[in-house]
Amino acid sequence: MWLPLMGLIIGVIIGLLTDIRIPAEYSNYLSIAILAALDTLFGGIRAQLQNIYDEKVFVSGFFFNILLAASLAFLGVHLGVDLYLAAVFAFGVRLFQNIAVIRRILLTKWTSSGEK
Amino acid sequence: MRLKKKVKTRGVVLAIVFLVLGFMVAYSFRVTQGEKSNQPITDRQWEQNLRLRDELNEQKERNRDLQKELNEKQEMVRDYESQLADEAQVYFNLAEDAEKYRMFLGKVKVKGEGVKVTLSDGEYNPDEPNINNYLVHEHHVYKVITELYISGAAAVAINGHRLTHNSYILCDGPVITVDGQQYPAPFEITAIGDPKVLSSALNITGGVKDQLVNDQIIFSLQEENKIVMDPVNVKK
Repeated sequence: MWLPLMGLIIGVIIGLLTDIRIPAEYSNYLSIAILAALDTLFGGIRAQLQNIYDEKVFVSGFFFNILLAASLAFLGVHLGVDLYLAAVFAFGVRLFQNIAVIRRILLTKWTSSGEK
Repeated sequence: MRLKKKVKTRGVVLAIVFLVLGFMVAYSFRVTQGEKSNQPITDRQWEQNLRLRDELNEQKERNRDLQKELNEKQEMVRDYESQLADEAQVYFNLAEDAEKYRMFLGKVKVKGEGVKVTLSDGEYNPDEPNINNYLVHEHHVYKVITELYISGAAAVAINGHRLTHNSYILCDGPVITVDGQQYPAPFEITAIGDPKVLSSALNITGGVKDQLVNDQIIFSLQEENKIVMDPVNVKK
């Protein structure tokens, strides 16, 4: 379990130490990508809790969602349509749903363990 | 063994996923933080810029006003200068005039070309009962002097005694008193002026010379290139 934690810490450190300045309009893509990553992460956690977790689906979904979200935002900017709003909406809704499911599962587990 | 390997692979994959996630979150955080930390500075800078610009505008306006004032002052100075120049010219003219008048009044030494008239008593004539008929009298001198002044003499002197506007000439027996000083014959009357004009004025037919010669007076006229007259007040 210490390997993913270390990966997270190293990632954070690299992110904080990176001194590349990106133009302000590209920070939107980054935000969308982060949203997609969080969505996938919580989706993975939910799947794990529901015992339907598949590593291939999770990893491919993680990167593919990030790229898709970023390219969707990019396309939106270049088409003059605020497509990133669609990504934000979709990922946001799914994020809340996933978190709600996780909460219920955890609650059920806690209640059942409390009964025992 | 297989389970362990699978767990390890899963860990590595998860580590990569978390690494990417951490990197993205941290980087985004950093970018956003940078923007946020930049924002107040630019705000303050903007305010400062505004203030400085206002100040600059104020200064510019003030400079313009001052420049205008400076131009006005310079104009004034130029006026004063030209006025001073005029005044200097006036003073120069006044000084010149004063010098000229001083010369006319006999306050300073003057020199120039002119004529010298010598009046001598006539030869003793035993046929003539009255000695006065061939002596030089003051009216003879008057005539000569008057004629000289009329002809444009600037200065006249009798025997070196400069005449002024209030000089007086008296006949005092054989001598003539000029301003209280006695001078015997012959009388040398010197006059500064154009010699040609003066001599021709005296030599007019029926003029002064003829009259004097008629009165048995020996009249001699000489044109001089340089006559020097001392100031009036200097006593010889």
